[in-house]
Amino acid sequence: MSDEVRRLSEELARDPGSLVFLQLGETLRRRGQLDLALRVSLRGLERHSTNGDAHDLVARIRADRGELDRALEAWDAVLRLVPTHLGALKGKGFVLYTQGRWQEAERVLLEAAARDGGDASIAAALAHVRREADQAGASGTDDTDDASRGSPAEEARTLFAEALGDGEMTALLIDADGLVMAGVYPTADGDDVSQEIGAELCGVSDEVQRAMRHLALGRWTRIAFETDAATVAMAPAPEGGLVLVAADPALPHGLVRRVLDRCGDRAAAWLETAGARS
Amino acid sequence: MTVAVAETWVEEPLRRFVDEARVLFALLIHPSGQVLGQHGFTRAVDVMSASALAAAIHASGSAIGKEMESAPFGELHHGGAARQIFLARTPTPRGDLVLLSVFDRSSSVGLVRVYFEELRGALAAAAPAAAPSPGLAATFEQELNRSLAALFGRAEPVGQPVPDA
Amino acid sequence: MTGPYQGALASVARQRGILGAMVVDANDDIIVDAAVRHGVKAPTVAALAASIYRKARQSAGAAGLGDTTFLRMEAEQGHIFAAGRGALVLIALAESTVNVGLVRLAMLQAASGLP
Repeated sequence: MSDEVRRLSEELARDPGSLVFLQLGETLRRRGQLDLALRVSLRGLERHSTNGDAHDLVARIRADRGELDRALEAWDAVLRLVPTHLGALKGKGFVLYTQGRWQEAERVLLEAAARDGGDASIAAALAHVRREADQAGASGTDDTDDASRGSPAEEARTLFAEALGDGEMTALLIDADGLVMAGVYPTADGDDVSQEIGAELCGVSDEVQRAMRHLALGRWTRIAFETDAATVAMAPAPEGGLVLVAADPALPHGLVRRVLDRCGDRAAAWLETAGARS
Repeated sequence: MTVAVAETWVEEPLRRFVDEARVLFALLIHPSGQVLGQHGFTRAVDVMSASALAAAIHASGSAIGKEMESAPFGELHHGGAARQIFLARTPTPRGDLVLLSVFDRSSSVGLVRVYFEELRGALAAAAPAAAPSPGLAATFEQELNRSLAALFGRAEPVGQPVPDA
Repeated sequence: MTGPYQGALASVARQRGILGAMVVDANDDIIVDAAVRHGVKAPTVAALAASIYRKARQSAGAAGLGDTTFLRMEAEQGHIFAAGRGALVLIALAESTVNVGLVRLAMLQAASGLP
Protein backbone atom coordinates (compact mmCIF):
# COMPACT_ATOMS: atom_id res chain seq x y z
CA MET A 1 0.00 0.00 0.00
CA SER A 2 1.43 3.40 -0.97
CA ASP A 3 1.85 6.12 1.62
CA GLU A 4 -0.81 8.18 -0.08
CA VAL A 5 -3.37 5.36 -0.05
CA ARG A 6 -2.51 4.51 3.55
CA ARG A 7 -2.85 8.13 4.64
CA LEU A 8 -6.19 8.56 2.90
CA SER A 9 -7.46 5.21 4.19
CA GLU A 10 -6.54 6.14 7.76
CA GLU A 11 -8.19 9.50 7.37
CA LEU A 12 -11.35 7.86 6.06
CA ALA A 13 -11.29 5.34 8.91
CA ARG A 14 -11.07 8.19 11.42
CA ASP A 15 -13.92 10.07 9.80
CA PRO A 16 -16.07 7.76 7.63
CA GLY A 17 -18.46 10.61 6.90
CA SER A 18 -15.82 12.82 5.28
CA LEU A 19 -15.38 13.41 1.56
CA VAL A 20 -11.88 11.97 1.60
CA PHE A 21 -13.27 8.86 -0.11
CA LEU A 22 -13.29 10.92 -3.31
CA GLN A 23 -9.50 11.31 -3.20
CA LEU A 24 -8.95 7.74 -2.08
CA GLY A 25 -11.22 6.32 -4.79
CA GLU A 26 -9.56 8.45 -7.46
CA THR A 27 -6.07 7.47 -6.29
CA LEU A 28 -7.00 3.80 -6.39
CA ARG A 29 -8.57 4.22 -9.82
CA ARG A 30 -5.42 5.78 -11.19
CA ARG A 31 -3.38 2.96 -9.71
CA GLY A 32 -5.60 0.47 -11.55
CA GLN A 33 -7.11 -1.00 -8.36
CA LEU A 34 -10.56 -0.76 -9.84
CA ASP A 35 -12.41 -3.22 -7.61
CA LEU A 36 -11.17 -1.54 -4.47
CA ALA A 37 -11.78 1.89 -5.96
CA LEU A 38 -15.36 0.95 -6.74
CA ARG A 39 -15.98 -0.41 -3.26
CA VAL A 40 -14.64 2.75 -1.65
CA SER A 41 -16.62 5.02 -3.94
CA LEU A 42 -19.89 3.09 -3.55
CA ARG A 43 -19.53 3.15 0.20
CA GLY A 44 -18.92 6.89 0.05
CA LEU A 45 -21.89 7.29 -2.25
CA GLU A 46 -24.14 5.65 0.34
CA ARG A 47 -23.38 8.56 2.70
CA HIS A 48 -23.27 11.27 0.03
CA SER A 49 -25.91 10.26 -2.45
CA THR A 50 -26.54 13.85 -3.57
CA ASN A 51 -22.89 14.58 -4.23
CA GLY A 52 -22.30 14.90 -7.96
CA ASP A 53 -18.56 14.27 -7.66
CA ALA A 54 -19.24 10.98 -5.90
CA HIS A 55 -21.43 9.80 -8.79
CA ASP A 56 -18.78 11.10 -11.22
CA LEU A 57 -16.11 9.03 -9.49
CA VAL A 58 -18.27 5.91 -9.70
CA ALA A 59 -18.89 6.60 -13.38
CA ARG A 60 -15.19 6.93 -14.18
CA ILE A 61 -14.40 3.69 -12.37
CA ARG A 62 -17.25 1.94 -14.17
CA ALA A 63 -15.94 3.23 -17.49
CA ASP A 64 -12.45 1.94 -16.66
CA ARG A 65 -13.99 -1.45 -15.87
CA GLY A 66 -15.70 -1.49 -19.27
CA GLU A 67 -19.15 -1.24 -17.67
CA LEU A 68 -20.20 1.44 -20.07
CA ASP A 69 -23.95 1.37 -19.53
CA ARG A 70 -23.48 1.63 -15.79
CA ALA A 71 -21.01 4.46 -16.31
CA LEU A 72 -23.63 6.25 -18.38
CA GLU A 73 -26.20 5.74 -15.62
CA ALA A 74 -23.83 7.24 -13.08
CA TRP A 75 -23.06 10.24 -15.29
CA ASP A 76 -26.75 10.76 -15.89
CA ALA A 77 -27.14 10.83 -12.10
CA VAL A 78 -24.44 13.51 -11.91
CA LEU A 79 -26.17 15.61 -14.54
CA ARG A 80 -29.50 15.34 -12.76
CA LEU A 81 -27.79 16.76 -9.66
CA VAL A 82 -25.41 19.19 -11.40
CA PRO A 83 -26.52 19.81 -15.00
CA THR A 84 -23.36 21.82 -15.73
CA HIS A 85 -20.91 19.15 -14.50
CA LEU A 86 -18.19 19.26 -17.14
CA GLY A 87 -16.59 15.96 -16.17
CA ALA A 88 -19.92 14.16 -16.52
CA LEU A 89 -20.57 15.70 -19.95
CA LYS A 90 -17.12 14.73 -21.18
CA GLY A 91 -17.39 11.25 -19.73
CA LYS A 92 -20.83 10.69 -21.18
CA GLY A 93 -19.61 11.92 -24.55
CA PHE A 94 -16.72 9.47 -24.39
CA VAL A 95 -18.97 6.49 -23.61
CA LEU A 96 -21.45 7.39 -26.35
CA TYR A 97 -18.54 7.74 -28.76
CA THR A 98 -17.18 4.33 -27.70
CA GLN A 99 -20.60 2.82 -28.29
CA GLY A 100 -20.76 4.30 -31.78
CA ARG A 101 -23.65 6.58 -30.89
CA TRP A 102 -22.13 9.46 -32.83
CA GLN A 103 -25.04 11.87 -32.87
CA GLU A 104 -25.68 11.58 -29.16
CA ALA A 105 -21.95 11.88 -28.45
CA GLU A 106 -21.73 15.01 -30.57
CA ARG A 107 -24.74 16.56 -28.83
CA VAL A 108 -23.27 15.96 -25.37
CA LEU A 109 -19.83 17.20 -26.34
CA LEU A 110 -21.32 20.33 -27.88
CA GLU A 111 -23.01 20.98 -24.59
CA ALA A 112 -19.68 20.50 -22.83
CA ALA A 113 -18.00 22.89 -25.25
CA ALA A 114 -20.69 25.46 -24.54
CA ARG A 115 -19.78 25.24 -20.83
CA ASP A 116 -16.05 25.52 -21.43
CA GLY A 117 -15.07 26.55 -24.92
CA GLY A 118 -11.41 26.73 -23.97
CA ASP A 119 -11.08 23.07 -23.13
CA ALA A 120 -8.85 21.64 -25.85
CA SER A 121 -9.77 18.04 -25.01
CA ILE A 122 -13.44 18.72 -25.74
CA ALA A 123 -12.63 20.33 -29.09
CA ALA A 124 -10.41 17.36 -30.01
CA ALA A 125 -13.09 14.87 -28.97
CA LEU A 126 -15.71 16.73 -31.00
CA ALA A 127 -13.52 16.69 -34.09
CA HIS A 128 -12.91 12.99 -33.63
CA VAL A 129 -16.60 12.19 -33.21
CA ARG A 130 -17.52 14.17 -36.32
CA ARG A 131 -14.81 12.44 -38.37
CA GLU A 132 -16.02 9.01 -37.25
CA ALA A 133 -19.64 9.98 -37.89
CA ASP A 134 -18.76 11.10 -41.43
CA GLN A 135 -16.90 7.85 -42.13
CA ALA A 136 -19.72 5.77 -40.73
CA GLY A 137 -22.20 7.71 -42.83
CA ALA A 138 -20.09 7.20 -45.95
CA SER A 139 -19.80 3.47 -45.43
CA GLY A 140 -23.45 3.16 -44.49
CA THR A 141 -22.66 1.79 -41.04
CA ASP A 142 -24.25 4.37 -38.86
CA ASP A 143 -24.50 2.21 -35.80
CA THR A 144 -20.99 0.89 -35.47
CA ASP A 145 -20.71 -2.17 -33.25
CA ASP A 146 -18.89 -1.03 -30.13
CA ALA A 147 -17.72 -4.56 -29.42
CA SER A 148 -15.57 -4.51 -32.52
CA ARG A 149 -13.60 -1.58 -31.18
CA GLY A 150 -12.25 -2.73 -27.84
CA SER A 151 -9.72 -5.31 -26.72
CA PRO A 152 -10.91 -8.93 -26.74
CA ALA A 153 -11.36 -8.82 -22.96
CA GLU A 154 -13.39 -5.64 -23.11
CA GLU A 155 -15.33 -6.96 -26.06
CA ALA A 156 -16.26 -10.05 -24.02
CA ARG A 157 -17.17 -8.04 -20.93
CA THR A 158 -19.44 -5.67 -22.79
CA LEU A 159 -20.89 -8.23 -25.19
CA PHE A 160 -24.43 -7.91 -23.86
CA ALA A 161 -24.41 -4.19 -23.00
CA GLU A 162 -26.58 -3.22 -25.94
CA ALA A 163 -28.97 -6.16 -25.55
CA LEU A 164 -29.46 -5.44 -21.85
CA GLY A 165 -30.17 -1.77 -22.32
CA ASP A 166 -30.58 0.34 -19.23
CA GLY A 167 -32.66 -2.12 -17.19
CA GLU A 168 -31.57 -3.76 -13.99
CA MET A 169 -30.22 -6.82 -15.76
CA THR A 170 -26.97 -8.57 -16.33
CA ALA A 171 -25.98 -11.41 -18.64
CA LEU A 172 -23.31 -14.06 -18.94
CA LEU A 173 -22.20 -16.50 -21.62
CA ILE A 174 -20.94 -19.68 -20.01
CA ASP A 175 -19.12 -22.44 -21.85
CA ALA A 176 -19.77 -26.17 -21.62
CA ASP A 177 -17.33 -26.43 -18.69
CA GLY A 178 -19.12 -23.81 -16.62
CA LEU A 179 -16.55 -21.09 -17.31
CA VAL A 180 -17.63 -17.55 -18.11
CA MET A 181 -16.76 -16.49 -21.65
CA ALA A 182 -18.47 -13.12 -21.79
CA GLY A 183 -20.48 -10.67 -19.71
CA VAL A 184 -20.14 -9.47 -16.13
CA TYR A 185 -22.10 -10.06 -12.94
CA PRO A 186 -21.37 -7.20 -10.56
CA THR A 187 -22.56 -7.14 -6.96
CA ALA A 188 -23.87 -4.06 -5.23
CA ASP A 189 -20.33 -3.60 -3.90
CA GLY A 190 -18.96 -3.58 -7.40
CA ASP A 191 -17.28 -6.99 -7.24
CA ASP A 192 -17.51 -9.09 -10.37
CA VAL A 193 -18.81 -12.47 -9.24
CA SER A 194 -19.56 -13.82 -12.70
CA GLN A 195 -17.32 -16.90 -12.33
CA GLU A 196 -18.96 -17.89 -9.05
CA ILE A 197 -22.49 -17.25 -10.31
CA GLY A 198 -21.78 -18.97 -13.62
CA ALA A 199 -20.33 -22.06 -11.96
CA GLU A 200 -23.25 -22.38 -9.54
CA LEU A 201 -26.09 -21.72 -11.95
CA CYS A 202 -24.87 -23.76 -14.90
CA GLY A 203 -25.47 -26.85 -12.74
CA VAL A 204 -29.19 -26.26 -13.28
CA SER A 205 -28.80 -26.76 -17.01
CA ASP A 206 -26.91 -30.02 -16.41
CA GLU A 207 -29.88 -31.20 -14.40
CA VAL A 208 -32.26 -30.17 -17.16
CA GLN A 209 -30.12 -31.85 -19.77
CA ARG A 210 -30.36 -35.11 -17.87
CA ALA A 211 -34.11 -34.80 -17.37
CA MET A 212 -34.80 -34.10 -21.04
CA ARG A 213 -33.66 -37.58 -22.00
CA HIS A 214 -36.62 -39.01 -20.10
CA LEU A 215 -39.36 -36.42 -20.42
CA ALA A 216 -40.13 -36.78 -24.14
CA LEU A 217 -40.45 -33.03 -24.53
CA GLY A 218 -37.78 -32.50 -27.18
CA ARG A 219 -34.87 -30.12 -26.58
CA TRP A 220 -35.13 -27.56 -23.81
CA THR A 221 -35.22 -23.98 -25.00
CA ARG A 222 -35.40 -21.84 -21.85
CA ILE A 223 -35.45 -22.11 -18.08
CA ALA A 224 -36.45 -19.31 -15.78
CA PHE A 225 -36.58 -19.32 -12.03
CA GLU A 226 -37.66 -16.68 -9.63
CA THR A 227 -35.70 -16.04 -6.45
CA ASP A 228 -35.88 -13.45 -3.70
CA ALA A 229 -33.13 -11.38 -5.32
CA ALA A 230 -33.50 -11.98 -9.04
CA THR A 231 -35.29 -13.58 -11.91
CA VAL A 232 -32.78 -15.87 -13.60
CA ALA A 233 -33.36 -17.01 -17.17
CA MET A 234 -31.16 -19.35 -19.14
CA ALA A 235 -31.04 -20.71 -22.66
CA PRO A 236 -28.71 -23.08 -24.43
CA ALA A 237 -25.94 -21.46 -26.46
CA PRO A 238 -23.84 -22.95 -29.28
CA GLU A 239 -21.09 -25.46 -28.46
CA GLY A 240 -22.82 -26.72 -25.34
CA GLY A 241 -22.75 -23.33 -23.69
CA LEU A 242 -25.36 -21.39 -21.82
CA VAL A 243 -26.63 -17.82 -21.86
CA LEU A 244 -27.82 -16.54 -18.52
CA VAL A 245 -29.70 -13.35 -17.72
CA ALA A 246 -30.34 -12.20 -14.17
CA ALA A 247 -32.88 -9.44 -13.72
CA ASP A 248 -34.47 -7.44 -10.97
CA PRO A 249 -37.42 -9.54 -9.75
CA ALA A 250 -39.73 -6.59 -10.30
CA LEU A 251 -39.11 -6.57 -14.06
CA PRO A 252 -41.82 -8.15 -16.23
CA HIS A 253 -41.01 -11.77 -17.05
CA GLY A 254 -41.87 -11.29 -20.70
CA LEU A 255 -39.22 -8.58 -20.93
CA VAL A 256 -36.63 -10.84 -19.31
CA ARG A 257 -37.46 -13.53 -21.84
CA ARG A 258 -37.03 -11.12 -24.75
CA VAL A 259 -33.72 -9.91 -23.37
CA LEU A 260 -32.61 -13.53 -22.96
CA ASP A 261 -33.42 -14.19 -26.61
CA ARG A 262 -31.54 -11.07 -27.68
CA CYS A 263 -28.52 -12.08 -25.60
CA GLY A 264 -28.71 -15.57 -27.09
CA ASP A 265 -28.60 -14.15 -30.62
CA ARG A 266 -25.73 -11.87 -29.64
CA ALA A 267 -23.77 -14.76 -28.11
CA ALA A 268 -24.33 -16.97 -31.15
CA ALA A 269 -23.10 -14.24 -33.50
CA TRP A 270 -20.09 -13.53 -31.29
CA LEU A 271 -19.12 -17.20 -31.07
CA GLU A 272 -19.44 -17.52 -34.83
CA THR A 273 -17.22 -14.48 -35.36
CA ALA A 274 -14.73 -15.75 -32.80
CA GLY A 275 -14.73 -19.13 -34.54
CA ALA A 276 -14.11 -17.50 -37.90
CA ARG A 277 -11.25 -15.45 -36.45
CA SER A 278 -9.51 -18.43 -34.90
CA MET B 1 -18.07 -42.90 -14.09
CA THR B 2 -16.10 -46.07 -13.58
CA VAL B 3 -17.86 -49.35 -13.25
CA ALA B 4 -16.11 -52.69 -12.91
CA VAL B 5 -17.89 -55.75 -14.19
CA ALA B 6 -17.50 -59.48 -13.93
CA GLU B 7 -19.83 -59.98 -16.92
CA THR B 8 -19.64 -57.56 -19.82
CA TRP B 9 -23.37 -57.45 -20.62
CA VAL B 10 -24.10 -55.54 -17.41
CA GLU B 11 -21.51 -52.85 -18.08
CA GLU B 12 -23.48 -50.41 -20.23
CA PRO B 13 -26.77 -50.58 -18.27
CA LEU B 14 -24.93 -50.22 -14.97
CA ARG B 15 -22.75 -47.37 -16.19
CA ARG B 16 -25.82 -45.52 -17.41
CA PHE B 17 -27.60 -46.06 -14.12
CA VAL B 18 -24.62 -44.76 -12.16
CA ASP B 19 -24.25 -41.74 -14.44
CA GLU B 20 -27.90 -40.78 -14.44
CA ALA B 21 -28.93 -41.60 -10.89
CA ARG B 22 -25.68 -40.13 -9.49
CA VAL B 23 -25.29 -42.80 -6.86
CA LEU B 24 -22.12 -43.07 -4.82
CA PHE B 25 -22.00 -46.86 -4.78
CA ALA B 26 -23.73 -49.50 -6.85
CA LEU B 27 -23.47 -53.22 -6.57
CA LEU B 28 -25.24 -55.63 -8.89
CA ILE B 29 -25.25 -59.16 -7.57
CA HIS B 30 -26.87 -62.48 -8.11
CA PRO B 31 -28.68 -63.65 -4.96
CA SER B 32 -26.07 -66.41 -4.83
CA GLY B 33 -23.47 -63.80 -4.03
CA GLN B 34 -21.92 -63.59 -7.48
CA VAL B 35 -21.03 -59.97 -8.12
CA LEU B 36 -21.79 -58.91 -11.68
CA GLY B 37 -20.70 -55.29 -11.46
CA GLN B 38 -19.89 -52.49 -9.07
CA HIS B 39 -19.20 -48.78 -8.87
CA GLY B 40 -17.56 -46.85 -6.07
CA PHE B 41 -15.83 -49.60 -4.14
CA THR B 42 -12.05 -49.58 -4.12
CA ARG B 43 -11.31 -52.67 -2.03
CA ALA B 44 -12.34 -56.24 -2.66
CA VAL B 45 -13.05 -56.73 1.02
CA ASP B 46 -15.69 -53.96 0.93
CA VAL B 47 -17.36 -55.50 -2.08
CA MET B 48 -17.31 -58.82 -0.33
CA SER B 49 -18.98 -57.57 2.81
CA ALA B 50 -21.47 -55.36 0.93
CA SER B 51 -22.53 -58.19 -1.37
CA ALA B 52 -22.88 -60.59 1.54
CA LEU B 53 -25.02 -58.06 3.42
CA ALA B 54 -27.08 -57.20 0.34
CA ALA B 55 -27.73 -60.87 -0.35
CA ALA B 56 -28.74 -61.39 3.25
CA ILE B 57 -31.04 -58.34 3.32
CA HIS B 58 -32.59 -59.43 0.06
CA ALA B 59 -33.12 -62.96 1.35
CA SER B 60 -34.70 -61.81 4.59
CA GLY B 61 -36.78 -59.14 2.81
CA SER B 62 -38.03 -61.75 0.39
CA ALA B 63 -38.91 -64.09 3.24
CA ILE B 64 -40.77 -61.37 5.18
CA GLY B 65 -42.55 -60.28 2.01
CA LYS B 66 -43.69 -63.79 1.30
CA GLU B 67 -44.84 -64.12 4.87
CA MET B 68 -46.79 -60.87 4.89
CA GLU B 69 -47.88 -60.31 1.30
CA SER B 70 -47.46 -63.74 -0.25
CA ALA B 71 -44.78 -62.22 -2.49
CA PRO B 72 -41.20 -61.04 -1.92
CA PHE B 73 -40.73 -57.31 -1.39
CA GLY B 74 -39.57 -55.68 -4.60
CA GLU B 75 -37.51 -52.88 -3.14
CA LEU B 76 -36.20 -51.49 0.10
CA HIS B 77 -35.21 -47.94 0.92
CA HIS B 78 -33.42 -46.82 4.04
CA GLY B 79 -32.87 -43.09 4.57
CA GLY B 80 -29.88 -42.24 6.74
CA ALA B 81 -28.74 -38.84 7.95
CA ALA B 82 -26.31 -38.26 5.10
CA ARG B 83 -26.57 -41.34 2.91
CA GLN B 84 -29.42 -43.53 1.81
CA ILE B 85 -29.66 -47.11 0.63
CA PHE B 86 -31.86 -48.44 -2.13
CA LEU B 87 -31.98 -52.19 -2.61
CA ALA B 88 -34.17 -53.78 -5.25
CA ARG B 89 -34.69 -56.95 -7.18
CA THR B 90 -34.61 -57.00 -10.96
CA PRO B 91 -35.75 -60.00 -12.98
CA THR B 92 -33.70 -60.95 -16.05
CA PRO B 93 -33.58 -64.00 -18.33
CA ARG B 94 -30.58 -65.02 -16.20
CA GLY B 95 -32.78 -65.04 -13.12
CA ASP B 96 -33.35 -62.38 -10.48
CA LEU B 97 -30.52 -59.96 -9.75
CA VAL B 98 -30.23 -57.58 -6.81
CA LEU B 99 -29.08 -53.99 -7.01
CA LEU B 100 -27.70 -52.25 -3.96
CA SER B 101 -27.11 -48.53 -4.36
CA VAL B 102 -26.02 -45.83 -1.96
CA PHE B 103 -26.63 -42.17 -2.62
CA ASP B 104 -26.52 -38.82 -0.87
CA ARG B 105 -28.33 -35.52 -1.24
CA SER B 106 -27.12 -35.02 -4.79
CA SER B 107 -29.72 -37.62 -5.73
CA SER B 108 -33.01 -38.83 -4.25
CA VAL B 109 -34.97 -42.01 -3.86
CA GLY B 110 -37.43 -40.75 -6.47
CA LEU B 111 -34.66 -40.29 -9.02
CA VAL B 112 -32.97 -43.58 -8.14
CA ARG B 113 -36.30 -45.34 -8.67
CA VAL B 114 -36.77 -43.70 -12.07
CA TYR B 115 -33.34 -44.77 -13.25
CA PHE B 116 -33.67 -48.18 -11.63
CA GLU B 117 -36.74 -48.79 -13.81
CA GLU B 118 -34.59 -47.97 -16.81
CA LEU B 119 -31.85 -50.28 -15.54
CA ARG B 120 -34.35 -53.12 -15.17
CA GLY B 121 -35.40 -52.76 -18.78
CA ALA B 122 -31.83 -52.50 -20.03
CA LEU B 123 -30.66 -55.53 -18.06
CA ALA B 124 -33.60 -57.60 -19.22
CA ALA B 125 -32.82 -56.69 -22.81
CA ALA B 126 -29.06 -57.21 -22.53
CA ALA B 127 -29.02 -60.46 -20.54
CA PRO B 128 -27.80 -63.52 -22.40
CA ALA B 129 -29.87 -66.71 -22.42
CA ALA B 130 -30.77 -68.19 -19.08
CA ALA B 131 -28.03 -70.03 -17.21
CA PRO B 132 -28.76 -72.60 -14.53
CA SER B 133 -29.23 -70.86 -11.21
CA PRO B 134 -26.53 -71.70 -8.73
CA GLY B 135 -27.65 -72.87 -5.31
CA LEU B 136 -27.45 -70.12 -2.73
CA ALA B 137 -25.70 -71.54 0.29
CA ALA B 138 -23.46 -74.14 -1.29
CA THR B 139 -21.66 -71.96 -3.82
CA PHE B 140 -21.97 -68.53 -2.22
CA GLU B 141 -18.32 -68.11 -1.21
CA GLN B 142 -16.96 -69.68 -4.36
CA GLU B 143 -19.08 -67.44 -6.61
CA LEU B 144 -18.17 -64.38 -4.60
CA ASN B 145 -14.45 -65.04 -4.82
CA ARG B 146 -14.61 -65.71 -8.54
CA SER B 147 -16.49 -62.50 -9.26
CA LEU B 148 -14.23 -60.45 -7.00
CA ALA B 149 -11.21 -61.69 -8.93
CA ALA B 150 -12.82 -60.51 -12.16
CA LEU B 151 -13.88 -57.18 -10.72
CA PHE B 152 -10.46 -56.29 -9.40
CA GLY B 153 -8.52 -57.36 -12.48
CA ARG B 154 -7.26 -60.76 -11.43
CA ALA B 155 -9.44 -62.53 -14.02
CA GLU B 156 -11.13 -61.56 -17.31
CA PRO B 157 -14.82 -60.62 -17.12
CA VAL B 158 -17.12 -63.25 -18.52
CA GLY B 159 -17.98 -62.39 -22.12
CA GLN B 160 -14.69 -60.56 -22.71
CA PRO B 161 -12.91 -61.67 -25.92
CA VAL B 162 -9.63 -63.44 -25.12
CA PRO B 163 -6.72 -61.55 -26.68
CA ASP B 164 -4.55 -63.42 -29.22
CA ALA B 165 -1.37 -64.85 -27.77
CA MET C 1 -61.74 -35.34 -5.32
CA THR C 2 -60.81 -35.43 -1.65
CA GLY C 3 -57.66 -35.06 0.41
CA PRO C 4 -55.60 -32.10 1.54
CA TYR C 5 -53.88 -31.54 -1.80
CA GLN C 6 -56.75 -32.05 -4.20
CA GLY C 7 -57.87 -28.44 -4.11
CA ALA C 8 -54.42 -27.20 -5.13
CA LEU C 9 -54.06 -29.89 -7.77
CA ALA C 10 -57.49 -29.23 -9.24
CA SER C 11 -56.89 -25.49 -9.51
CA VAL C 12 -53.78 -26.12 -11.59
CA ALA C 13 -55.04 -29.13 -13.54
CA ARG C 14 -58.10 -27.22 -14.76
CA GLN C 15 -55.94 -24.75 -16.70
CA ARG C 16 -56.06 -25.28 -20.45
CA GLY C 17 -53.07 -27.27 -21.74
CA ILE C 18 -52.12 -28.82 -18.41
CA LEU C 19 -51.35 -32.53 -18.72
CA GLY C 20 -50.81 -33.19 -15.06
CA ALA C 21 -50.24 -31.65 -11.66
CA MET C 22 -48.41 -33.28 -8.78
CA VAL C 23 -47.52 -32.50 -5.21
CA VAL C 24 -44.07 -33.92 -4.61
CA ASP C 25 -41.89 -34.40 -1.55
CA ALA C 26 -39.05 -31.91 -2.06
CA ASN C 27 -36.42 -34.13 -0.45
CA ASP C 28 -37.30 -37.54 -1.84
CA ASP C 29 -38.82 -36.47 -5.20
CA ILE C 30 -41.68 -38.87 -4.58
CA ILE C 31 -45.30 -38.07 -5.40
CA VAL C 32 -47.50 -37.18 -2.46
CA ASP C 33 -50.63 -36.68 -4.54
CA ALA C 34 -51.33 -36.17 -8.22
CA ALA C 35 -53.95 -35.40 -10.84
CA VAL C 36 -52.62 -36.43 -14.23
CA ARG C 37 -54.03 -37.34 -17.61
CA HIS C 38 -53.78 -40.88 -18.87
CA GLY C 39 -50.40 -41.63 -20.40
CA VAL C 40 -48.36 -39.23 -18.27
CA LYS C 41 -45.53 -41.02 -16.45
CA ALA C 42 -46.19 -39.18 -13.23
CA PRO C 43 -43.35 -40.67 -11.09
CA THR C 44 -40.80 -39.86 -13.78
CA VAL C 45 -42.04 -36.31 -14.34
CA ALA C 46 -42.30 -35.72 -10.60
CA ALA C 47 -38.81 -37.00 -9.79
CA LEU C 48 -37.06 -35.18 -12.64
CA ALA C 49 -38.93 -31.90 -12.26
CA ALA C 50 -38.52 -31.83 -8.49
CA SER C 51 -34.86 -32.57 -8.95
CA ILE C 52 -34.46 -29.63 -11.33
CA TYR C 53 -36.27 -27.41 -8.87
CA ARG C 54 -34.06 -28.58 -6.00
CA LYS C 55 -30.93 -27.93 -8.06
CA ALA C 56 -32.17 -24.45 -8.96
CA ARG C 57 -32.89 -23.80 -5.30
CA GLN C 58 -29.44 -25.00 -4.22
CA SER C 59 -27.64 -23.12 -6.97
CA ALA C 60 -29.53 -19.88 -6.39
CA GLY C 61 -28.85 -20.17 -2.66
CA ALA C 62 -25.16 -20.80 -3.24
CA ALA C 63 -25.04 -17.86 -5.63
CA GLY C 64 -26.53 -15.60 -2.97
CA LEU C 65 -29.82 -15.05 -4.79
CA GLY C 66 -32.02 -16.17 -1.90
CA ASP C 67 -34.85 -18.66 -1.95
CA THR C 68 -36.36 -19.93 -5.19
CA THR C 69 -40.12 -19.65 -5.41
CA PHE C 70 -41.00 -20.61 -8.96
CA LEU C 71 -39.38 -22.36 -11.91
CA ARG C 72 -40.44 -22.69 -15.50
CA MET C 73 -38.76 -24.83 -18.10
CA GLU C 74 -39.67 -24.55 -21.76
CA ALA C 75 -38.94 -27.31 -24.23
CA GLU C 76 -39.84 -27.88 -27.87
CA GLN C 77 -42.87 -29.95 -26.97
CA GLY C 78 -44.01 -28.71 -23.61
CA HIS C 79 -43.41 -26.95 -20.35
CA ILE C 80 -42.60 -27.94 -16.81
CA PHE C 81 -43.56 -25.67 -13.94
CA ALA C 82 -42.56 -25.97 -10.30
CA ALA C 83 -43.48 -23.92 -7.26
CA GLY C 84 -42.16 -24.77 -3.82
CA ARG C 85 -43.57 -24.43 -0.36
CA GLY C 86 -41.64 -25.85 2.56
CA ALA C 87 -40.95 -29.52 2.07
CA LEU C 88 -43.34 -29.79 -0.88
CA VAL C 89 -43.11 -28.86 -4.54
CA LEU C 90 -46.07 -28.41 -6.80
CA ILE C 91 -45.21 -29.63 -10.29
CA ALA C 92 -47.14 -29.21 -13.51
CA LEU C 93 -46.56 -30.65 -16.97
CA ALA C 94 -48.09 -28.70 -19.82
CA GLU C 95 -48.41 -28.62 -23.57
CA SER C 96 -46.31 -26.07 -25.42
CA THR C 97 -49.40 -23.99 -26.26
CA VAL C 98 -50.22 -23.33 -22.62
CA ASN C 99 -50.78 -19.79 -21.33
CA VAL C 100 -47.62 -19.43 -19.24
CA GLY C 101 -48.82 -16.38 -17.34
CA LEU C 102 -52.08 -17.99 -16.22
CA VAL C 103 -50.38 -21.21 -15.17
CA ARG C 104 -47.76 -19.28 -13.22
CA LEU C 105 -50.43 -17.42 -11.28
CA ALA C 106 -52.41 -20.59 -10.63
CA MET C 107 -49.29 -22.43 -9.48
CA LEU C 108 -48.14 -19.70 -7.12
CA GLN C 109 -51.61 -19.39 -5.64
CA ALA C 110 -52.00 -23.14 -5.26
CA ALA C 111 -48.53 -23.55 -3.77
CA SER C 112 -49.19 -20.86 -1.19
CA GLY C 113 -52.24 -22.80 -0.06
CA LEU C 114 -50.48 -26.14 0.37
CA PRO C 115 -50.89 -27.43 3.91
